[in-house]
Amino acid sequence: MKKFALVAVIVTGSLLLYAVGDFPAFGDAKSPANAGVEGGFSVSRYYITETAADTAVPNIVTAVLADYRGYDTFFETTVIFIAGLAIFAILRVANPGAPDRRDRPSSDSGVEGDHNRVIIGMTCRLLIPVIQLFALYVVAHGHHSPGGGFQGGVMLGASFILIAIASDLDTALRRFSERRYLALGCVGILIYGGFGLLCQLLDRHFLDYGVLHKLMGVTPVMARSHSMLGVEIGVAFTVTSVMFAIYANLSTRGELRSGL
Amino acid sequence: MAEQLPALILLAPLFGALLVGLAGPRDRRVCFPVVLGALAVSLCSAVGVLVRVLAGGPVDYFVGGWSEPLGIGIQLRVDTLNGLVLVVIAVVFVLVGVFSIRRAGEENTEKSPQYYTLFLLLAVGVFGMTVTGDAFNLYVLVEVSSLTGYALIAMGSSPRGTVAAFNYVVMGTIGASFYLLGVGYLYMATGALNMAQIHEIVATTGAGGSRTVLVAFILILAGLWTKMAFFPLHGWLPNAYGYCPSTSSSVLAPLVTKVYIYVMIRVMLGVFGAEWIFEHVGWTNIVVWLATVAILAGSLLALAQTEVRKMLCYLIVAEVGYMVGGAWLANRWGMAGAVYHIVADALMTLCLFLAVNIIVKRTGRLRMDAFDGLFRKMPLTMAGFAVGALAMIGIPPTAGFFSKWYLLRGGIESGHFEYVAALLLSSLVNAVLFFRLFERAFFGGNPAGGHHPDRTAAESGPTQQGWVGDSTLLGGEARASTLGPLLAAAALVVAVGLLNGPIVSAILRYFENMPVLGAP
Repeated sequence: MKKFALVAVIVTGSLLLYAVGDFPAFGDAKSPANAGVEGGFSVSRYYITETAADTAVPNIVTAVLADYRGYDTFFETTVIFIAGLAIFAILRVANPGAPDRRDRPSSDSGVEGDHNRVIIGMTCRLLIPVIQLFALYVVAHGHHSPGGGFQGGVMLGASFILIAIASDLDTALRRFSERRYLALGCVGILIYGGFGLLCQLLDRHFLDYGVLHKLMGVTPVMARSHSMLGVEIGVAFTVTSVMFAIYANLSTRGELRSGL
Repeated sequence: MAEQLPALILLAPLFGALLVGLAGPRDRRVCFPVVLGALAVSLCSAVGVLVRVLAGGPVDYFVGGWSEPLGIGIQLRVDTLNGLVLVVIAVVFVLVGVFSIRRAGEENTEKSPQYYTLFLLLAVGVFGMTVTGDAFNLYVLVEVSSLTGYALIAMGSSPRGTVAAFNYVVMGTIGASFYLLGVGYLYMATGALNMAQIHEIVATTGAGGSRTVLVAFILILAGLWTKMAFFPLHGWLPNAYGYCPSTSSSVLAPLVTKVYIYVMIRVMLGVFGAEWIFEHVGWTNIVVWLATVAILAGSLLALAQTEVRKMLCYLIVAEVGYMVGGAWLANRWGMAGAVYHIVADALMTLCLFLAVNIIVKRTGRLRMDAFDGLFRKMPLTMAGFAVGALAMIGIPPTAGFFSKWYLLRGGIESGHFEYVAALLLSSLVNAVLFFRLFERAFFGGNPAGGHHPDRTAAESGPTQQGWVGDSTLLGGEARASTLGPLLAAAALVVAVGLLNGPIVSAILRYFENMPVLGAP
């Protein structure tokens, strides 16, 4: 088996090396991806020159991600949701003995443990609001600067994970219950998809945000910009929930008790 | 409204899944109507699109309205090829949806809302893979369908299923990575992700001769072959489909490998182009030989199995060989046979898996002896099974006969007699396999002696205990909600067989402007 793996690796590696000889030079402005094949149409040139006029968004990456190829991002969000749901579906064990969860003594009630708790608890108490505030900024400013729903959502999710690590999972679950994160994961995609569906109800194609200017009272170009913010918020909802759901289930083998 | 149909095919199950995910945990009774409603909308949309395509040519849908210039947004495109596949997928999903009404509840008591959410998201994934006209978007939907597939397999109670799901995760991820790497290379060489655009660049510019494009093609093909379980990359399939919950195997086994076959044909004809593949690259002989080996290996491994569901899994491996070989024969009969076989094989595999899942559930046995005396106890289930089995063997007027007929014709016309021989041998093996089961079902299981005179009471005990039958009109027959889909699938196997003329002529019309596949 090891020999077979070695052969597979060598074959794949030499195949990749074989192609390297034909690659465009690194950073070549005339490479097909930058300038089109033989001077033909180039997608990236279009994005660089037209994004501002099309969408009024200074961050081209966000415009490609959330508008031109928003359909891909929509499903990437769905993929993240599926990942969370799959882990829940596989790991989560229904616990009929749920009430005894509160009766369990705290795992480390020793003197040293308590001492650590004060320091860690206070640090987290100070840090978590800042993390969350910054996360919201990253979500809200994604179409103007680097950032967006994925990054902001991960930060928000991490702030809840920090609560769970600093005190225990029950404390985190009191703030972000299982029922809530399962629902919010759906809600995030529903927000994203809702923008798309709204466009369809207004007789355009899915995710054709321009038409939403009728509802927003701005120009079609600005409607695209605002809608991008909207879908980023949807992404952030899903990513936050899934991050925490994955942590909660993985760290407790699906029992949602005490945790690490 | 009609314009929205291509998107509606996958948006209906998507929003259905969200609805089930939100409302399901509160009230489980919501799940089933939503699942069935969403899938019914998909089916109607798919049929509507196919009708439009047959009447007026390919239907395009530009997500986000980015149609000009081509390639900046994502294009969905339905033509005869994927229109047909979409309808079949929708039919399979509706039937398995009905089948799952009780099964999913029994096998995943606590988590049935999550199960149904994943079930609908799987539909989103395979519909999306089929409808898309964008090489990268295809990858995203491969992820959607794979992840849901892994979860649906691992959700069963059998620990072997969970292990198999893990193997599948590893293999599936490798396959998807190869595909993604290939798309990356392709983008590097062509600067495009839209399938039609890549096709044009490969066909008309110097990019077609570059090594990068060639390696991209190899990588994509290797990725797809892993995903479709093309021998010897089939290792993940038998256990994954053999030990997963019955509703999962009923939908995964008929669809997933077939959808990847469709994707391979789409990549061959729609991205790289038939000319480039068969004239510039021209590995027809090698791939047809690989397919021949796959057919033989799949059939022989099926012969060695003692459990019925795993035997069917190895037959899927052999069937993948049929279709890969057919598509690579480089003539229009082989290609049309492969496309028609996607339809036929999806339906007959559905038929067999539904029947076997009913039987396994009823008898509590995985092995061949589950079939003992079943024609007497469950005549309708066995009738459905028999139709699927006869189609697998290739007996007229089932669809399996006609698809083999076209594949054989393609093999003979292109002079690949090794493929023809493998196809015939595999039919023979199928006949042996299924008649062995028929024999048991007719004559086996007589406690008073008969076929197994030396059988002890202890051995036949579990059969009696595991029998959940009640004294209704049909005795041990399964419930209407499980029997209905099986009989519908069986009827469709025959109907698609009888309608082979119009279906194949529509497919052949699609190849008209591909001279490399031979003149009509």
